[in-house]
Amino acid sequence: MARVFVSSVINGRSDRVWARVRDFNGMPNWHPAIAESRIEGGEPSDKVGCVRDFRLRNGDRIREKLLGLSDYDMFCTYAILESPMGVENYVATLRLTPVTDGERTFAEWTAEFDCPPERETELIANIGGGVFQGGFDALKRAFGG
Amino acid sequence: MPHVVKSTIIDTPTDRVWAVLRDFNGHDRWHPAVATSAIERAQSSDRIGCVRRFRLADGSELREQLLALSDLEQSFSYCLLDTPIPLFNYVAHVRLLPVTDGDRTFWRWESRFTTPAGEEKRLTEMVGEEIYQAGFEAIREHLREAV
Repeated sequence: MARVFVSSVINGRSDRVWARVRDFNGMPNWHPAIAESRIEGGEPSDKVGCVRDFRLRNGDRIREKLLGLSDYDMFCTYAILESPMGVENYVATLRLTPVTDGERTFAEWTAEFDCPPERETELIANIGGGVFQGGFDALKRAFGG
Repeated sequence: MPHVVKSTIIDTPTDRVWAVLRDFNGHDRWHPAVATSAIERAQSSDRIGCVRRFRLADGSELREQLLALSDLEQSFSYCLLDTPIPLFNYVAHVRLLPVTDGDRTFWRWESRFTTPAGEEKRLTEMVGEEIYQAGFEAIREHLREAV
């Protein structure tokens, strides 16, 4: 099983960063790789079990299911149902933790998945370096550093 | 039950920070509140259950027991056994996590304890500022000197 761990420090209070990322249907508002998103069946985006169907800027479509959401611990866990990435059993978690020393936020984004061994390095680089770090870079810009 | 949580970012890779923090008998080398430290019964400081005896800068003594230590998670937990301060049922957890964006360290230090009514605010501030926040600053200084 391949594992990705990417973490960063966002220069804003964690409740403000969380307000920006908690909406499971809101990735187009903050992540530069996501073009559009909708929740299937007209369900609310904070209903655990809801499915988002989104389209990337490169045209790929991905369907993901919300497995867990906590406003108390500030994390969101989801699984890929369908994607062109060629991964199986993909589960990811985005988690925020306050940094009490200065108004900053420690952000972690982790994923575990199965894939053919020869594709593991490439997928870890794309998911970790592309999607996750790309999202953190956008948050850092939005919060001024 | 008061819950104290403090966290910071150290501009040093986690392995270097952990190399300093993991020594349960090493806090006298970096924490300003601790004058001397010794492990009782000459046990190894990474043996779970070992007890450290601190003499503080003001001359008072306290004893703390190592409850858990993980090099994989870069975390440890300990409790107070004897203390000159009214901190009871005190259990603390230290955890490091890598900041991959910049090869830095997120450090979280937290505890829960009980104390006589009316003392909560004073002791929460004391533990948070004089022990945890002062410890963060001391490690920053210690790592600068060690370069």
